[in-house]
Amino acid sequence: VTNKKLWLDRARREANDMQNHVIDEFLAGHIDRRGLLRHGTAYGLSAVLMGGLLGVSTQKARAGTPGSTVRVAIVTPTGAINPVTVADIGGLVLLQQTGEFLIIDDPDLMLKPCLATSWSANKDGTVWTFKLRQGVKFISGKTMTADDVVYSIARLADPKQGSNALSAFKGVLDPTGVVKVDDHTVEFHLSAPNGNFPYLVSSDNYNAIILPAGSDAGAYEKTFDGTGPFKLDTFSAGQGASFVPNPGYWGPKPLPARTELTFFADQQSQVLALQGGQVDMIQQIAVQGAQGLINNPQVNLINIRASTHRQVHMRCDMAPFTDKRVRQAVALTLDRPAIVKGLFRGLSDLGNDSPFAPVYPSTNKSVAQRAMDIAQAKSLMAAAGLAGGAEVTLTTEQLQEIPDYAVLIQNAAAEIGLKINLKIETSDAYYGQATYGNSDWLDSQMGITDYGHRGVPNVFLSAPLVSTGTWNSAHFKNPAYDALVASYVASTDLSVQRDVSGKIETLLLDETPIIFGYFYNYLAATAPNVTGVKVNAISQVFLAGASVG
Amino acid sequence: MLKQLGNMLAKRLGLSLVTLLLLSLLVFAGGQLLPGNVGRAILGPLADAASVAALNHKLGTDLPVPVMYWRWISHFVTGDMGMSYAFQQPVAPFILRALGNSLKLAGVAFVIVVPLSIGGGVYAAMHARSWIDKVISISGLSMTVIPEFVSSIALILILGIWLSWLPVSATAPPGSGALEQIYHLILPSLPLVFELFGYIARMARAGTVEALDSDYTRTAVLKGLPWRVVIFRHVLRNALLPTITVVATQLGYLVGGLVVVESLFRYQGIGSLILTAARDKDFPMLEAGILTVGAIYVLVTVAADLLYTVLNPRLRAGGR
Repeated sequence: VTNKKLWLDRARREANDMQNHVIDEFLAGHIDRRGLLRHGTAYGLSAVLMGGLLGVSTQKARAGTPGSTVRVAIVTPTGAINPVTVADIGGLVLLQQTGEFLIIDDPDLMLKPCLATSWSANKDGTVWTFKLRQGVKFISGKTMTADDVVYSIARLADPKQGSNALSAFKGVLDPTGVVKVDDHTVEFHLSAPNGNFPYLVSSDNYNAIILPAGSDAGAYEKTFDGTGPFKLDTFSAGQGASFVPNPGYWGPKPLPARTELTFFADQQSQVLALQGGQVDMIQQIAVQGAQGLINNPQVNLINIRASTHRQVHMRCDMAPFTDKRVRQAVALTLDRPAIVKGLFRGLSDLGNDSPFAPVYPSTNKSVAQRAMDIAQAKSLMAAAGLAGGAEVTLTTEQLQEIPDYAVLIQNAAAEIGLKINLKIETSDAYYGQATYGNSDWLDSQMGITDYGHRGVPNVFLSAPLVSTGTWNSAHFKNPAYDALVASYVASTDLSVQRDVSGKIETLLLDETPIIFGYFYNYLAATAPNVTGVKVNAISQVFLAGASVG
Repeated sequence: MLKQLGNMLAKRLGLSLVTLLLLSLLVFAGGQLLPGNVGRAILGPLADAASVAALNHKLGTDLPVPVMYWRWISHFVTGDMGMSYAFQQPVAPFILRALGNSLKLAGVAFVIVVPLSIGGGVYAAMHARSWIDKVISISGLSMTVIPEFVSSIALILILGIWLSWLPVSATAPPGSGALEQIYHLILPSLPLVFELFGYIARMARAGTVEALDSDYTRTAVLKGLPWRVVIFRHVLRNALLPTITVVATQLGYLVGGLVVVESLFRYQGIGSLILTAARDKDFPMLEAGILTVGAIYVLVTVAADLLYTVLNPRLRAGGR
């Protein structure tokens, strides 16, 4: 018996059923190193154990010089910086400068302990137990305990709070489900089994920073009280904020002496400011309008694969899309590699008409990618009795590349005799009241909608596609699909998850209520002398390890 | 004379108040036509309906429309601009800071463009049909028709990035002195100079050409007055009257209409404040911003009329 075997046996005794399953999967070769790290962290395997399994050290030395001032251009927050209501990338990046989450969802979608040191679920995934880090102090001086976690998370799950995170917690967690066990243990009793629950209390859910119990979210702006590596220096609404190291921080001392997050109204002024040397970094760039930064030696491009995408819905209850052959035909007209090249300079993954983006490890990659096939599309149209063509209206919003995408779809569909009239309006007009009957987004015959990155596909699988979904603009109603999604969400078993995702992908390719053409990469930009900045596809910017020069 | 002016001023200011009241109603009514609401604007289109309703209730933005208007106007007339829906902070400091910034930028642009364009126009008129006249007229006209967002980017690229002569951001670092602030405002004011130079110079040129052609100028020359006296006392006083009106009305644009320049140069002026407020459906901020700009327009128009009256010998009872 080798040392390694002994060590592993001991580790197995300490692990619970689900953790052991992950270990089995890795040893059997069903998941790769990346998959082990990702799933291992989701089920609360310790970093030391996974490091042992991989035979590598997970500790990384921090490079870079201390003492810089790091200046970041961010998008002007749309409202007050209130941790409960923030819903925009300008606001959320401010929250995570001084606030911390139970778990960090790293850029490669792996979960890393932060204020929680470990987490694990009961057998069916309905109760999750989180162990909290000890000796963590808020900037205001109070020691963090389970009470603070219960207060912070229960508030986000409360429908009476105007919480932005409600859409994530609805049907998963009620405020009463957050239970203190002791000062350093919290249990989450879920409304339904959920194998991916840790993502909902990770940085993926950007509102979920831990705040002192009893604190007023409306007054957050005055203190930015949190447990993070930085504390607030100055905040000026509409202008910017600056931060300095928090001397009482529990983790390693942050490198920068000061960080300045300056608000910009639009991308163009951010690009100019980076080029003019007024800032060291841009929080996020879109390829449209920032072409000058791509392949520019004066700029360091941060390029991360993401699940950000556009959904092209076709109303399954409205002619001519009542016939699935017509929906399939439209999807078959698209030359996806060319579209991605044209719209994103290739910085994007292809979509296969399901929410399973290639970046998700649970995506079943054995399902073949849909490719352009005009001949088949024409014969499908003929089979549907539309050989003579048809006319539809595509409604969408004036946002980034979407109008260009709409024109590409219009041109492609013309090849099979489908005439698409475009109606392009402001985002406000497109979303309208965001309820059925009062929204072009939810009522239009055909439309294109923007969806931001999520660490797991759960929201994309349910809200826009299940029969009772609140964002079901395709009006897709399929009991078989609903059942598959329920079993995907509930499953805590990796191989089952991937098995189900294969079935979901196949079903959606056949039904094609929504075209998922691409999942484009998250891009940020820094000056060439900037190192150690960590960015994720949520648009969060972690500056503790950053240095300039 | 003074009584006449006083009457005119009182009448004009009274009418202005009515104009501003109508403006506030119009902005309010227009805001209601736009889709969405404050809670939705803050939480985004994908937020849960229950959250949006709860937030609107907290903010007081779920009240009937006339009640919201009455609440706002009854406070506004007492000088209380109210709380911003989006920022959850009092509106007044935002407006004051933005107005201060806008006035600084307008001031710098004004100081550059007025002497330059009037001098250029008069010079062109005095050398009418020469090559220099053509250069001034044609280049002025060309610069005027270039949109601000084009000239701004060209100027930023050339002066800010390639040559690195001037800072790209209009906002000076906190705690900077007046000179540092002016230095930061030079580049952003250049697109405005471009925009206005051609217009003002053409007005000045046309007026001067006309005045040079007039009988009183011929008389002045023939009675042997020195050329300087002819130009300054007889020609310019008459020639620049229309120009003064034009310059004054442009002041309103310079303070309130610079959304593009303010956003490109990241400058917190009143134009971008209004744009943001409209986008967020932040009604108290929007009303206060628009009324501020409206008041400036009204005031500069009255001031221009007043100046015109004072300077125009034909409208002046006791003039020389």
